[in-house]
Amino acid sequence: MNWLVQGLSSSVGKKFVMGVTGLLLCGFLAMHLAGNLLLYVGEETYNAYAHALHSQEWLIKIAEVVLLVLFVGHIALALVLTQENQAARPIDYATRQSKKDTPVLIITPDNWMFVSGVIVLLFLLLHLSEFAWNIWLTEAVKGKEPFEKARIILTDPLSTFVYIVGPAVLGFHLWHGFASAFQSLGLNHEKYTPLITWLGIIFAVLVAVGFASFPIWAWATMETL
Amino acid sequence: MSDTLNLTLKVWRQAGPDQPGEFRVYQLSDVSPDMSFLEMLDVLNEQLLAQGEEPVAFDHDCREGICGCCGLVINGQPHGPLRETTTCQLYMRHFKDGDTIVIEPWRAAAFPVVKDLIVDRTPLDRIIAAGGYVSVNTGQAPDGNAIPVPQEVAEKALDAAACIGCGACVAACKNASAMLFVSAKVSHLALLPQGHPERKKRVLSMVSQMDAEGFGACTNTYECEAACPEGVSITNIARLNREYFKALFA
Ligand code: FES
Repeated sequence: MNWLVQGLSSSVGKKFVMGVTGLLLCGFLAMHLAGNLLLYVGEETYNAYAHALHSQEWLIKIAEVVLLVLFVGHIALALVLTQENQAARPIDYATRQSKKDTPVLIITPDNWMFVSGVIVLLFLLLHLSEFAWNIWLTEAVKGKEPFEKARIILTDPLSTFVYIVGPAVLGFHLWHGFASAFQSLGLNHEKYTPLITWLGIIFAVLVAVGFASFPIWAWATMETL
Repeated sequence: MSDTLNLTLKVWRQAGPDQPGEFRVYQLSDVSPDMSFLEMLDVLNEQLLAQGEEPVAFDHDCREGICGCCGLVINGQPHGPLRETTTCQLYMRHFKDGDTIVIEPWRAAAFPVVKDLIVDRTPLDRIIAAGGYVSVNTGQAPDGNAIPVPQEVAEKALDAAACIGCGACVAACKNASAMLFVSAKVSHLALLPQGHPERKKRVLSMVSQMDAEGFGACTNTYECEAACPEGVSITNIARLNREYFKALFA
């Protein structure tokens, strides 16, 4: 096992773990989004889905442990790599100019992965404190069915803001992260890389727009509560 | 005869590795647009000598874009504004009269400044010494067609072999990562049959030496590829990763 630990703690190895954990988390995001989209199908379907999901106690436990490992691994490596990368250039340039062709986005996601990651983490913590740990907005959602609970939380002004900004920053993170993970795994091919890059951008936009649509939906349908 | 240029140069001056450095500003007039960037610095140094000031130390050798010695960060860009061009092949016609040009050395923990604009790039040599070679007994020159290599593979290997080891990839990377350099050397040898016997050992030792030298990791920002005077592609970095995992897991 020593060879594995050693191999994965090199710069190339750490990026490999970063890519694998990142892609698995993308898989989780896709499932999460698909589940949430049931909000649009109807109250009964969504509640049935939520109850069915939470009745699988073992599955939930395993999923939680796996997700925790993925998140902790991804975040811990981000901290280590960022620290090492900064140490690799103790004195910065007086001026800096990219030699790349003009980027599509003015603020390029690839240069802001750590910052966007931190914002996503804060978003995640607030999200969990409301939906999973019930330590925030506790009174308002007591005894409510999942569908109503979601609507109540999402129409809280602070939450509305966070649930729009959070997914937007998450999408920004994925814009670079998705395709970058493939490169870190060594998967670069002249035929498939352009496809992967576009898939990553489409996935990033879908995640951002998909998740950010829920607070807007919650407000739009609030009167019927 | 085109018009000459009057320039303001902001040059990094540092007397030695442990000395503090600073920018000093020099005025240079009547610079011919037909001069190379290094010739412009030669003229500056003549001027400094005449004034009794220490000339600016900068690295150079071939001055024809093949040795990889010259490497300056010009206005924040390694080797200046042109793609696939070394500093020595950059001509002053790409600047305008009245321009201010900021000139800095490569900046990386692994590349300490020796003096002014010269940095110590021996870490790259140590990475090569760690495995960037083929151990064969040299005998007679082998027959050119004795080992068949598909043409597209040969092209890829030669594209990687174009690396001149100048370190612009390190200079351009926000993490001062040497991945493009290492990947070019690993790719060059991994693609060709002669490099196969030592393939696994090579990639593992070169990556481990790269880490030991204190270079950063790759965040797939691809500034290296854009700054590389030889146009070495980041597909080589993916190949380096593949070679590494094959050596690790297989
Ligand atoms: S001096 Fe040799 S490449 Fe510029």
